[in-house]
Amino acid sequence: MDWECCWSRDQIEPENCPYIGEGEEDLLVSQRRRIVEKCVECPRFKNDLARMKGSGYPLSDVLPYILTEFQEQKSQMGAMLSFLNSKTREIKFLREVGLVLQTSLDLDEVLSIAMTAITAGKGFGMNRAFLLMTDKDRRHIRGYLGVGPRDYEEAWRTWEDIGRSNFTLRQLARDFQKTKLNSEKVKFHDILNQLTVPLADQGHIFNRALLGKKPILVENALNNPDLDRGLARILGVDTFLVMPLISRNRRIGVIIADNCITHKPITLQDMQSLETFAFPVAFALERASLYERLQEEVAKQKAANVKLREQQELIVKMEKMALVGKITSSIAHSIRNPLMVIGGFARTLLKATPDQDEKRSYLESIVRETRQLEDVLSEVLDYSESLFPVTDFWDLNELVGKAMGELEGALEQAGVRCRMELAPELPMVRIDYKQISYCLKTITATALAAIEQGGELRIESVLDGDGVLLRVSDDGRPFTQTAQEALTAPFFQTQELGEGVGLSLCKSILERQGNSLSILSRPGGGNTYSIRLLTRKENI
Amino acid sequence: MAKLLVVDDEANIRLLYAQELSDEGYQVVTAGSALEAVEKLESESFDLAVIDIKLKNESGLELLQRIVKERHTIPVILCTAFSCYKDDFSAWLADGYVVKSSDLQELKDEISRVLAKRQRGAYV
Repeated sequence: MDWECCWSRDQIEPENCPYIGEGEEDLLVSQRRRIVEKCVECPRFKNDLARMKGSGYPLSDVLPYILTEFQEQKSQMGAMLSFLNSKTREIKFLREVGLVLQTSLDLDEVLSIAMTAITAGKGFGMNRAFLLMTDKDRRHIRGYLGVGPRDYEEAWRTWEDIGRSNFTLRQLARDFQKTKLNSEKVKFHDILNQLTVPLADQGHIFNRALLGKKPILVENALNNPDLDRGLARILGVDTFLVMPLISRNRRIGVIIADNCITHKPITLQDMQSLETFAFPVAFALERASLYERLQEEVAKQKAANVKLREQQELIVKMEKMALVGKITSSIAHSIRNPLMVIGGFARTLLKATPDQDEKRSYLESIVRETRQLEDVLSEVLDYSESLFPVTDFWDLNELVGKAMGELEGALEQAGVRCRMELAPELPMVRIDYKQISYCLKTITATALAAIEQGGELRIESVLDGDGVLLRVSDDGRPFTQTAQEALTAPFFQTQELGEGVGLSLCKSILERQGNSLSILSRPGGGNTYSIRLLTRKENI
Repeated sequence: MAKLLVVDDEANIRLLYAQELSDEGYQVVTAGSALEAVEKLESESFDLAVIDIKLKNESGLELLQRIVKERHTIPVILCTAFSCYKDDFSAWLADGYVVKSSDLQELKDEISRVLAKRQRGAYV
């Protein structure tokens, strides 16, 4: 019998079989492989088998059965092989992702890896993914990050870029974190903003996925009566996957993934792969955000420590000041009595001395020097008294008005205008009224000394966080840095003994009450004295 | 002529007071301690007392309280090296408060102010 197919021949020529393509030339000389790979599929071979039927060959009736069975087995084998291949790829991929996720403590890095893995062709190859996370109060689930193209052109560009590069997933993620993360956060801002859902809304698809701890594939979302149609409209697709992220029963968030560009169906296998992947992602996200919170706490603790140390230093300083105050007070008092006697008798003698007597100038010197010493003593005593303030709540603006009223004469004499800008309805400040008045007057007097005739003095009060700021600004010559420091160092002498004590006294009065004084000089001219007063109830 | 009692534990200060206040035309009697002051107050009559707050181991403020309690017709001026007692409640009993100074003018002004008030009948 002449056979249509070439199966009976050991060797054939290329023109004998149209199914042998380029690169398969070895099949021409191997009958066995040719039959298994080509002939079983060949229609000519099937024709030959049909012709064989009833020809009397004993196997001719059985061969078609064997052939059909063989083909079936072969196609099953092929399917299993491709399944195995895809699983192997998936395991390899998951291993890579898992490795990175396990070692990362940086939230941004975890995000980059997770989102790259979902959207990269090397990963799950979804077109687009959104991550939603539960907020700190655990009240809402909020849109956090979206990854993917916004339109077809962008998608095409991105795919081309990725196709050209030969990056591993980790490299892709790193590249994403470095170059794209921030822009992606902004890119889907409009969509992410609309994705906020209260955790209490149990009927919402996100919460249904979280409660069921299973991914939900949403199809035909625009016409699904069980679904909020708004969600499909926001996303712009009617098929998407909602993947819950749960770590140790804690709801971390939700990933929404879709194929908004290619509209490729989301298969059961896609879903299962993503589900396997969701667990390490949830765990890594939780760990990274816990780590981030830990870092914040550590920073807070560090700041508190610094503050504590400052307070301790302040206490030590205040104790030293108190001791200085006590000593000076005791010395000053014991000097005052003899000084009074010296000066008093000098005055008595002066009264009884005729104008032309040459001793008169000596006596006048004694009187003058005694008076100066007494002035110094008064300031020193004021200083030591400043260490024991009596604080209460007062209206600062009223205090300013009163104190400046008392200084009207001095301002007029100096030819200086005073402009007041007092903020209305300030909270009461906790101060020693007399002492703060003293500070304001001392500062004004110091400022007046720096202003020239016709200059201006500005006094402002403003709300400043948990306190009130009182600013006195002049337009006079600026202090040098040394002068500034000197002016507020205790008992520093600028020109004459006594003059420098004023501001340093103010500073210690204010610090003693938990307030502060700072002086800022503008190089162009003018100084600003800022007093920060507390409104809080706690005493220092 | 108004008669004043000056109480101070420093002899030199008593001397200064006596000298200066006599020059002003007052009759001045001095006492170096609270005890001495009380004795003098019991044996003589005065128009006004000037008292130092720190009297060695005694307190001028206690003396002030005794005077106010027992001899309420005598006005008292506290004259002291300390300015902080101004805010002390018991110092409020006094009719005047002067911080010690070699310039006695403030004390003299205060004395004449208080005496003038007394003459108007405030202490009778």
